[in-house]
Amino acid sequence: MDFKTAAQISFYLAKDYAEDIFKLLVNYQAVSASEVATRLNLHIKTAQDFLEGLAELGILSKKEVFEKKRPYFHYILEQERIVIDIDLKQIKRQPTNDLLSQKIREREHAGARFSVSRSDDYITSVTIWTGDTRNRQERKIKLTTPQGMFLYHLPFPKAEPLSIAQIMAKADVDEKLAPEILDMVQLLEKYKVIESLPDNKNKS
Amino acid sequence: MVHERRLKPDRSLGGLVVFLIIAGTFGLSALLFGIITSFYILGGLFCVYGLYQLVVFLRMGNLAHLVPMAFLFYLGIMFFLAPYFGEIAESDLNYRIAWFTGILVFDTLLIYVALITKKVKWRGREIFELAAEPVEETGDGYTPRPRPVGRVEFTQREILEFARFIASHLVAIAYVNHKKVTFTPVKMGDEFKQFLRLYRPNEEATWINFDFEGDVSVHISHKDYLDYREPLAFDKLCQSMGQLFVNFFELHQRGEGIRIIDRLDAVGLSFFS
Repeated sequence: MDFKTAAQISFYLAKDYAEDIFKLLVNYQAVSASEVATRLNLHIKTAQDFLEGLAELGILSKKEVFEKKRPYFHYILEQERIVIDIDLKQIKRQPTNDLLSQKIREREHAGARFSVSRSDDYITSVTIWTGDTRNRQERKIKLTTPQGMFLYHLPFPKAEPLSIAQIMAKADVDEKLAPEILDMVQLLEKYKVIESLPDNKNKS
Repeated sequence: MVHERRLKPDRSLGGLVVFLIIAGTFGLSALLFGIITSFYILGGLFCVYGLYQLVVFLRMGNLAHLVPMAFLFYLGIMFFLAPYFGEIAESDLNYRIAWFTGILVFDTLLIYVALITKKVKWRGREIFELAAEPVEETGDGYTPRPRPVGRVEFTQREILEFARFIASHLVAIAYVNHKKVTFTPVKMGDEFKQFLRLYRPNEEATWINFDFEGDVSVHISHKDYLDYREPLAFDKLCQSMGQLFVNFFELHQRGEGIRIIDRLDAVGLSFFS
């Protein structure tokens, strides 16, 4: 199960009335939104949204019924067990060779403030300012020690860029920590603190 | 060897500020409290400035600072005595002789330690000039991040001896703690700002770190970087600054510390800059 689906299921399960609605779904062959709403004293829209959401997730199926003036839906439980199983490795950044060989350096006039540890051998945080005038906001990003050591060895603006793997080696950061390094690099690229350069443009 | 100047000319008033304050206070106190009191105040101010020179001697181990210290204490005492012996009391030959000989002796010594040997000169500008010497490229690239510049093999004792040497020749202020030695080059006129920092350089200061594991790193402040005439390639400048100190350390390790002073003298800056 992917993280998004699990989050959606959890969203519905976390509702106060979720257990009561599931009791109805388990015990009734089929229920409509208005039946649920009147039975549990909920607003019809609340019941409708809940049932529609579960139907979209495939937990319920719905069948259109035409016995009244306006057609409506009957909802039928399709799954008697809901299992949320997330493989967290799915969201782990895999340090591929391509990513690790990406050449990077600090962007010129990045406008970021780097706080250095008391021992002056790694960066503890990066402060970035975003937006203009009244919308100007300060964002402070605290770094883990390996991230701080990596950033400490990042080439200066206009200096010869180095690959992520080379910087990690220089900073003495274990290869196993590549995912957290990549995460920081991507974040700082987003905030225009780091720039990545293709091989043929290395010499600028 | 003629050095092409890479720094902008020094037009700061930093070194004169103390004397301007003393002169201004003297004039104002004469107006407010009369000439006798103003002589006491003038004497007191010279003694306070003399105490500062004593602190520089104690903190940096710079023996030559004892000369301006003694001169300032001498001036202080003479101005304290002025109301009793000078023109404004009744003329006294002994007092005049003391003035004459004192000025003669101290001026000679001051000319020797300041203008001839530059032993009381803070060598920050020479350091920045030497660091910029091998940097040909321009193109800015400033960043406030420190730059690791390499590793050097040394024992803790060697680096501490080097720190004492560097401090005693006013090449840089040395901050020593249990992990590292940090050198902060100080330009003439900037010494008051840096000197009062006892444990760690000012956030805005330029520094060169030697940690006890042998790693050397450099940070050049934006203010010092802007003091160069051209936007020198910052990466190269930091590398060169670090290498300069590594070279100095190696010279000192070989017992050729005097060559460091020769290199600084060869830059040919005047005492006042």
